[in-house]
Amino acid sequence: MAAALPGPRWLPAAAALLWACCGSAATDGIQDQAEQFFRSGHTNNWAVLVCTSRFWFNYRHVANTLSVYRSVKRLGIPDSHIVLMLADDMACNPRNPKPATVFSHKNMELNVYGDDVEVDYRSYEVTVENFLRVLTGRIPPSTPRSKRLLSDDRSNILIYMTGHGGNGFLKFQDSEEITNVELADAFEQMWQKRRYNELLFIIDTCQGASMYERFYSPNIMALASSQVGEDSLSHQPDLGIGVHLMDRYTFYVLEFLEEIHPASQTNMNDLFQVCPRSLCVSTPGHRTDLFQRDPQNVLITDFFGSVRKVEITTETVALDPNLVGLETRVPNDEMATEPLKYAEQLPVAQIIHQKPKQKDWHPPGGFILGLWALIIMVFFKTYGIKHMKYIF
Amino acid sequence: MAAPLVLGILVAVTVRAVLYRSSLAGFISERVEVASPLNAWKRVVEGLALLDLGVSPYSGDVFHETPLIIYLFHFLIEYSELVFMITDVLTAVALYLAVQDFNKVVFKKQKLLIELDRYASDVAELIRTPMEMHYIPLKVALFYLLNPYTVMSCVAKSTCAINNTVIAFFILATIKGSTLLSAIFLSIATYQSLYPLTLFAPALLYLLQRQFIPVKLKSKDFWLYTTQYAALYLCSLVVIVCLSFFLLNSWDFIPSVYGFILSVPDLTPNIGLFWYFFAEMFEHFSLFFVCVFQINVFFYTIPLAVKLKEHPIFFLFIQLAIISIFKSYPTVGDVALYMAFLPLWSHLYRCKFFVFDSSHPHPHSPWGTLNSNTTDVYCVTYTLYISLLQILLISDYFYAFLRREYYLTHGLYLTRKDGTEAMLVLK
Repeated sequence: MAAALPGPRWLPAAAALLWACCGSAATDGIQDQAEQFFRSGHTNNWAVLVCTSRFWFNYRHVANTLSVYRSVKRLGIPDSHIVLMLADDMACNPRNPKPATVFSHKNMELNVYGDDVEVDYRSYEVTVENFLRVLTGRIPPSTPRSKRLLSDDRSNILIYMTGHGGNGFLKFQDSEEITNVELADAFEQMWQKRRYNELLFIIDTCQGASMYERFYSPNIMALASSQVGEDSLSHQPDLGIGVHLMDRYTFYVLEFLEEIHPASQTNMNDLFQVCPRSLCVSTPGHRTDLFQRDPQNVLITDFFGSVRKVEITTETVALDPNLVGLETRVPNDEMATEPLKYAEQLPVAQIIHQKPKQKDWHPPGGFILGLWALIIMVFFKTYGIKHMKYIF
Repeated sequence: MAAPLVLGILVAVTVRAVLYRSSLAGFISERVEVASPLNAWKRVVEGLALLDLGVSPYSGDVFHETPLIIYLFHFLIEYSELVFMITDVLTAVALYLAVQDFNKVVFKKQKLLIELDRYASDVAELIRTPMEMHYIPLKVALFYLLNPYTVMSCVAKSTCAINNTVIAFFILATIKGSTLLSAIFLSIATYQSLYPLTLFAPALLYLLQRQFIPVKLKSKDFWLYTTQYAALYLCSLVVIVCLSFFLLNSWDFIPSVYGFILSVPDLTPNIGLFWYFFAEMFEHFSLFFVCVFQINVFFYTIPLAVKLKEHPIFFLFIQLAIISIFKSYPTVGDVALYMAFLPLWSHLYRCKFFVFDSSHPHPHSPWGTLNSNTTDVYCVTYTLYISLLQILLISDYFYAFLRREYYLTHGLYLTRKDGTEAMLVLK
């Protein structure tokens, strides 16, 4: 059956060569991809999603958070890696005409509550203290795993916060606030404890840009829904439910994220373009100066999804054991050269040799003089001047 | 008379010293009946501490004492217990001397009226004798020293004791007849807490009586003396206020002290009448009612002056009582001061409506836990009850006094025109 093939005789050879090349190229591609895995500093994803407002009329903040939660779960981050903090229960709120649902589109098109929501911090547990403890990891030993942020230095963390805020602060539960300074210090603590590789901070509140102004730790990228002095507006009220369902910025972010799938190559620059002023009324802002990579090269799925691409290959991949990570950490250890020691909590030496308290205030001389002059004058007026000679 | 007084003083000082060392001291200083925002000791300490830190003690709503108290306690704060014991002793001694003098005056006046035949014929049992009047000064001094209210006030180190001392010295100066000293002490008393301003009228009346100047509106002497006294009083008040300015180089103390007394911003419960009313009032009306309540304190002066112009010391007593009941932040220290005068009028017992002993024990528990509405109501009723008792006491004494005067001039056994026995009715 050696039928003579029509065409040039070199075709099979060429095809074989091409295929070999392709094969080797493919192998190289796989090797490259496998090496890529070791070059990036990021191996797991976490998300901390916080809604800080309570009461029925703040439905939209819960809907915001839940829609981000939904996207993040859809893109692959499991519940065990999401810390969801909701300050109030909208789905089972007595004022909810559609119980067990939280909608994000009017006409109730999209129920972001679903039947697979795991809220970790609920209602009054959403406090500034708990939030900071989650971030910094300083949690009492009795806290269950679901309430902990067990990130390490290879975790990319997405932190999303929404609620009512102002210039430099975010209001929690209508009773306390977290300031931008506190937040920046918390992130610095996270950095020093090697609790993140890269951090994406998104905030949807009024004057949200003020919250990322004070960050000073490396590898943080921040997005906010409005600049200082601007209010973030809500999107659409639903006349059936009676409240505004979503905030504009998160609404358009959600629309954007609906297009993303786990293998998307969309990068951060596209996220920065989400919700321009014409749609959002406020001007969204972002901050990338602390971030080491170019936002062009940062995939959305680096933060919103969990890297879980599986490719089966029959190739053998030879990995170089001396692979060095492409991104090196910013060496900030030069600061920690001086030995640390505890400050004296109880200055025993001082207490033992305690001197009597120094009175720092003394009445002015004029006052004392005036007062005693008056008293002496009255005395002599009353008892007669003749007593003078007994005194002087 | 000196020996029993000294003995009484020693006993009183011992009682106070013992209580200072016991655990009751802390408990008593926390009680709202004893320590009001105006005179609590811990506020004095707080104010002086703020001053040491370089902050004006009048910033914030902590310290409401006058600068003279700052000056006094700046040097004496370590000896505070001694200071308060000494002030109590001084008050008692001043009251003793004052009442001694006053009794002499009363007796002289009575003798004069008997000789002038102004009394009715059958009032022998109402005439006061030196025998009964002999122990009154001692009783007054002991009433003040050993009164549980005074002891509690002293143990709590409430500066009400200092206010009482100044008022006692004022009374002493008035009874001795010294215009200058009386004006000066009255101005210090007014400077400390605003209300002794109303004591100007009885003091003036007494001094006029002493100078034998009749109170006639046309009389030139009367106006001359009144203006003299008023001028002395106002000048010394101005001098003291200006001097206080120089202590801290600021006028902060005026809104802190007098603004506080007059506008009553602090509504923690006390034995006064202001707090419950204002705690429940809408902001809109509070200014009006503050004015009404404050006028209430000053209002009784003129009618009483008209009625009691012959008896200025009784007028003084009633006025002191009215101040203690109706002032914005009364404490038991104020009550103790006017209660000290009760022995002075124990001769009125015959004419009293009911024998009334107001130093009865009363429960303190409701104010321990002020966290429920029922306790609130209990507090209110209790406060009102105490005020009511005091008012009844005062009106009782007043009525008895007037009745006695009436009996003295018209005879004890009143008969109507047709000869049947008549009843005296207060209209």
